[in-house]
Amino acid sequence: MFDPNTKILIVDDMLTMRKIVKKIFRDLGFTNITEAHDGKDAWEKVQTGNFGLIMSDWNMPVCSGLDFLKMVRSDKNLAKTPFILVTAEAEQHQVAEAIKSGVDNYVVKPFSQEALKLKLEATHKKITIRNSAQ
Amino acid sequence: MTESKSCYTIDKLEGYAVLQLGLKLNISGRKEFEKEIEGLANLYLIVNCHLLTSIPNDWIRLIVRLQQLVKKSNKFLKMINVTPGLIAFFKGEGLDTTFKYATDIKDALVDTGLALPAQAGTAQTAPVKKGLDTDFINPFLAAAANVIQVSSNITSLAGDIFIKQNTDVLPGDVSGVIGIVSEAFVGSVIISFPEKTFLKIMSNMLGEDVKEINQEIVDGAAELTNMIFGQAKVVLNNKGYGIKSAIPSVISGNNHSFSTLTKGPIVVVPFNTEYGGFFIEICLSN
Repeated sequence: MFDPNTKILIVDDMLTMRKIVKKIFRDLGFTNITEAHDGKDAWEKVQTGNFGLIMSDWNMPVCSGLDFLKMVRSDKNLAKTPFILVTAEAEQHQVAEAIKSGVDNYVVKPFSQEALKLKLEATHKKITIRNSAQ
Repeated sequence: MTESKSCYTIDKLEGYAVLQLGLKLNISGRKEFEKEIEGLANLYLIVNCHLLTSIPNDWIRLIVRLQQLVKKSNKFLKMINVTPGLIAFFKGEGLDTTFKYATDIKDALVDTGLALPAQAGTAQTAPVKKGLDTDFINPFLAAAANVIQVSSNITSLAGDIFIKQNTDVLPGDVSGVIGIVSEAFVGSVIISFPEKTFLKIMSNMLGEDVKEINQEIVDGAAELTNMIFGQAKVVLNNKGYGIKSAIPSVISGNNHSFSTLTKGPIVVVPFNTEYGGFFIEICLSN
């Protein structure tokens, strides 16, 4: 599982959703949490943030979660940052597109604390395996 | 022409072929298939992976070989109906960029200019549907009940659906609005909450006692609308509606009401919870 001190960036254009996700992370023991209100805001924050996990909504104005993911993956300093996309629409072609773009996992809204915990564990395991193979 | 095998079928159609993989891909079937891949090399190939969550390695090697063969003929191989489980399997095997995916046959052939034959058997795609009927409305009912339950642990029950008349006033204190856009129609979905219902839902979602509708929580209505629309959209698009994604917005103010931009009938679905009601308005026009 991710270390509770992991620096987490939550990206969502909806203030309410950021509060809900932040609360779930806090209930799971994470304390180092930063918020961004869209992909553009998030892109500025990751330049200096040294984040250990990004959890971004997909459907946002200005810069979508998928566009932000592509920007992160194409930056050599950020490319390996664990990235989870949050979506309300888990259609097959969307999931395929996200995986093709390098997402580590995705969560379908609405989700419970337990569901997010399982996603975080699976993501951490996947990243550990990936890093040990490199 | 359709050739049935024990664990796969091949539908050879005009200019392309559909390879349907079965759930039990065995060695004998693979040996049969190996003998006929040369005959598929000049066709666009669509591999239907319906219900599969993994593919044996010997079959994968053969499909990769087939992909290389069709590529030499300037054709392509695309996989359709790929489940999230199969995508995860490919990723685990390091094959997530090996294959091209498409949603369905129509989507797979969109770059080729090939027309789908009318009698294509399993190769037919669902026609784009249109119309405000129970087939369209029911996914919203199921999605609304599910989203409210999962996000706030509140049970909601749908009441009798009715068509909104000019004289009907259905005021809400906070509403989420999202546009519906497809090739066949445009419309909107509005989910309106009275203050009491909304405050209870938001209190449960946030895990704190919310006493008034303010800027801190008002976009929760848009988020609920987004989640309900998102779940219904997946079901409807699997039926061929072709609805596109949209960004929701929120309207608040005591007892506000709406004028829809589209001219079609407006279907209203009232819901009830132990903390009060809310309602969904769905409007479509061609």
